[in-house]
Amino acid sequence: MTPDMEFALEARAENIAIVRHVLGGLGEAYEVPEEKLSDIRLAVTEACANVVVHAYPDGQEGQMEVVASMEGETLTVLVRDWGCGIRPRPDSPGLGLGLSLIAALAESVQLGHGSKEHTEVQMTFALRDPVASTSTHVGAPHGGNAPPGPNGRGE
Amino acid sequence: MSEAAGDTRAGGMAVSGAAAGERERSSPTGTVRVRVTDGPLVGPVLRRTVSIVLARADWPLDGLDDALLVCDALSAHAPAHSLSGWVALSVEANEREAELRVGELTCEGAAQLVRDSTLPVAGNVLEGIAERVSVEPMDGEGSQLVLVLSCG
Repeated sequence: MTPDMEFALEARAENIAIVRHVLGGLGEAYEVPEEKLSDIRLAVTEACANVVVHAYPDGQEGQMEVVASMEGETLTVLVRDWGCGIRPRPDSPGLGLGLSLIAALAESVQLGHGSKEHTEVQMTFALRDPVASTSTHVGAPHGGNAPPGPNGRGE
Repeated sequence: MSEAAGDTRAGGMAVSGAAAGERERSSPTGTVRVRVTDGPLVGPVLRRTVSIVLARADWPLDGLDDALLVCDALSAHAPAHSLSGWVALSVEANEREAELRVGELTCEGAAQLVRDSTLPVAGNVLEGIAERVSVEPMDGEGSQLVLVLSCG
């Protein structure tokens, strides 16, 4: 799938708002319904928040990358990082709702590692159908990674 | 993501000089790089990227307005000079200055992009608004347009 948009920025909390704002461009370009756009923005910013909180521990600096691809009425968004990967984290500072929220908002969610030694969360969204699909699942796109367990990264 | 338009991941920002170093240190957002395929996303994405980076840097409204005029010119004309079918932009700003780099342009594309941005009455939008306009070769092939904007 050829991306329509890629953006890369430093994985800082204050930069999540940039991702959220730029994603609004989808609404301008493709007339995405406002409610659907809100779901997309919430899910993607949640994934970016996971990168900021979990991917680069102990104050490490790092990058995050967001890639959006449109195919017909389906939008696929990848959120990538080059941090420590997805792993259980008993000391997670989050409430443990992030991945559940993403799974509820997206048609499908896949977690895994990509060819550039990065960790990625892949989300797909149906742009026009206001009825949420019942086929939401969480799985590993490249065959190697089970979803994180309790208190794992991204929850 | 492409190395175009100023990759910062390996080797630091693709700019030179003390001013660039100062800007990098004081930029609230760091460098934000975006690539968009030629199509309806170009205008909204460029405008939104530049506007929020400059807003984060506490630019005043008139400075933001000027920057958005630059974005409009870039999104109108850059796709025609794209080397790859992408419009690539990196933007970085502090409270006084912003640098926009438009990359992945053909060898003559950056210079042509400046020429295309001339309006009949107003003159050249890019040269009129930007503090500095320069064309630089890119690694490999092609060119990039570097615009330095100032908010006073």
